[in-house]
Amino acid sequence: MKRSRSTWQRLRGHARTGAPGSCALAACLALGSCAGPTNSPPPQPAAAGPPGIAYEAHVAAGAVVPGGVELHNPHSGDKAVAAAGAMLFTTMNCDGCHGGDAAGAVGPALGDGRWRYGGADAEVFSSIYFGRPKGMPAFGGALGADGIWELVTYLKSLTPPPTVPTESWQGP
Amino acid sequence: MSFSSRIATLLIGIAATLVATENSGKAAAADNDWVMPGKDFAATRYSALADINGGNAARLHPLWTFSTGVLGGHEGQPLVVGNTMYVVTPWPNVLYAFDLTKEGYPLRWKYRPEVSPNSIGIACCDTVNRGAFFVDGMIVYNLLDGHTVAVDAKSGREIWKTQVADLSAGETTTMAPLVVRDRVIVGASGGEFGIYGWVKGLDLKTGKVIWTGHNLGSDADMLIRPDSYKPPYEQGPDLGVRTWANGSWKTGGAPVWGTISYDAQLDLIYYGTGNASPYNPEQRAGDNKWSSSVLARRPEDGALVWAYQFTPHDSWDYDSTGAMILADLTIAGKPTKALVHFDKNGFAYTLDRATGKVLVAAPYATLNWAKSVDLASGRPVLDPAKATGASKGNVTDICPSLEGAVSPSSPAAYSPRTHLFYTSTNNLCMDYQAAHSSYLRGTPFMGANTPYKAGPGGHLGAFVAWDAASGRKVWENTEAYPSWSGALATAGDVVFYGTLDGWFKSIDARTGKVLSKFKVGSGVVGNPITFRGPDGKQYVAVYAGIGGDWFLLAGDVRSDDPADMRPAADYIKDIARRTSQGGIVWIFGL
Repeated sequence: MKRSRSTWQRLRGHARTGAPGSCALAACLALGSCAGPTNSPPPQPAAAGPPGIAYEAHVAAGAVVPGGVELHNPHSGDKAVAAAGAMLFTTMNCDGCHGGDAAGAVGPALGDGRWRYGGADAEVFSSIYFGRPKGMPAFGGALGADGIWELVTYLKSLTPPPTVPTESWQGP
Repeated sequence: MSFSSRIATLLIGIAATLVATENSGKAAAADNDWVMPGKDFAATRYSALADINGGNAARLHPLWTFSTGVLGGHEGQPLVVGNTMYVVTPWPNVLYAFDLTKEGYPLRWKYRPEVSPNSIGIACCDTVNRGAFFVDGMIVYNLLDGHTVAVDAKSGREIWKTQVADLSAGETTTMAPLVVRDRVIVGASGGEFGIYGWVKGLDLKTGKVIWTGHNLGSDADMLIRPDSYKPPYEQGPDLGVRTWANGSWKTGGAPVWGTISYDAQLDLIYYGTGNASPYNPEQRAGDNKWSSSVLARRPEDGALVWAYQFTPHDSWDYDSTGAMILADLTIAGKPTKALVHFDKNGFAYTLDRATGKVLVAAPYATLNWAKSVDLASGRPVLDPAKATGASKGNVTDICPSLEGAVSPSSPAAYSPRTHLFYTSTNNLCMDYQAAHSSYLRGTPFMGANTPYKAGPGGHLGAFVAWDAASGRKVWENTEAYPSWSGALATAGDVVFYGTLDGWFKSIDARTGKVLSKFKVGSGVVGNPITFRGPDGKQYVAVYAGIGGDWFLLAGDVRSDDPADMRPAADYIKDIARRTSQGGIVWIFGL
């Protein structure tokens, strides 16, 4: 996905430009996967939604994976999976905090090639699965491993703009 | 100035003080102080101090600064009570008490509450705090993580702390409380998280929650009682349920995060509610009462007396959380107890504050989502071409943008001397592409992609003088950037505000002519105040510290996290050339 310089505008709005919902949210939760678009109807609001997330109960600051465990992204570099992850990024309201195209809003930018908690696929996976301090919910319980790997694949597919380190101006 | 006009000025000053005192119940204070967010219960942000005037304002210069050590957007304002100035920071909500009697204003104490860092990720739009309230020797304010605290103003010791809001439901607390007699009135943010919006009345002595009134839902939840409820327009039971299709009221938003005002004679508090959730209006067919509305309640028990909806079925994120300013105006020759409100939707409303009836509604900025407001029904006359929704695709060139014709975080001021209201404005329009949004408790519930663009003229903001009796703009100073500062009016006929790129300005109240300006350390999104110091001199204080929505919208003004780099906004490319984050308290004097 091309990362437009104007996407920061979407902070409060969100890039929901694809077909509505790659699959019903309830199905995402049940199957733990949203790979590939389907013809399912758009997800239903509120009543049919998933269980709530209690932040205090789910955030695991630090989120250290047990020693000897190696996390491996089964979809690394797969463009179709990245596209599915982009859908999931809006369906699961990730863009509500991280902005459209993950350009950053109240949560940090995720397409700038820089990472608070490490940018290796396994590290990004851990951040989503376990949550992080300062408000990142733990989505492990809601998404399952497959869904999170799709998100990781999407985020790692974003190309950081060349102006990340140096912003310059001209004129009066 | 002649002798007789001096006397007249003096009398007007005394009269203004009397009005403020009469309105203010327990928290009465001389104009030397600034004891509550909006200066007085009427939220006028007007001070009778007049030492600084048109003849000497050019000499205003900074006398003192203090870094708060916090980078979040510094909305809100300090308080000054006697010889002490109180400052609340954005999260982590440190409360500082400065001794104004000593050189350099050293601290008497600072209070550092425990505040959950998880609230940072639940607050939609930066970790702001909109101020504190002084009453009965206590400073009362909200912590971002859903707690209200009362702190002893002398010692800085915590007196009580009450959880009022639920982070796990997407609720945070950014607004300043209002205290009327023994009730502390608070509300919660969360219009971007699908909260079930409310206000609460706490007992001042203990912090115990006495009542909770929802802004939507059943009549019982809304504290609607047949004997006291007199709505000006729409009638009928359970409008807070019946105007929301498919039970959508349960996640309908209508948060409370702005200024609350109070009329002692009518014994009514007034506050605005925020947007309906989600941003995609097709998920909540109906008027969605009472989102984007003003509600009038009894402070003692929370009973709803009337409500008026500025934007039925909000389809543009037009919150109505901006201040409800109470002023006694002469409208069409008739003395009127008015309520004046600059809505995000671009109309300035003048209401009868006893009944909620609309008297005047006129655009104070560029708007095109509606053509006018029908005074008989109180409803806007819509332009159907600007209606949004997931089935409508990308609806282009809607004015104003969802940042509002003015931010509710930038409250206006009213001068009883000029009979004018003074407000910041934004000159932004937007495209609005709605899409279905799924509710997941505690996460954003929005569903719209809304890129902005400059409105007509190309400038992005302005500072406006407004005649609310006639609905007329008297003058306007255009600004290069969106104007995000509150206003301060004074009896010296000098008005103060700051700009997003960090200029703090004093201007002539009658003409708008700039009398002085100074480049403070960061963009101004806070509200100036004025006070008389222990040395007898008049001072003006204001926070610098760009943030609020600009934390999100102009992410390149930040340098605090090398792992979080934002691109510049395409409609405001060079704001980061002129300012960056950083919370600083500034005091100006002659």
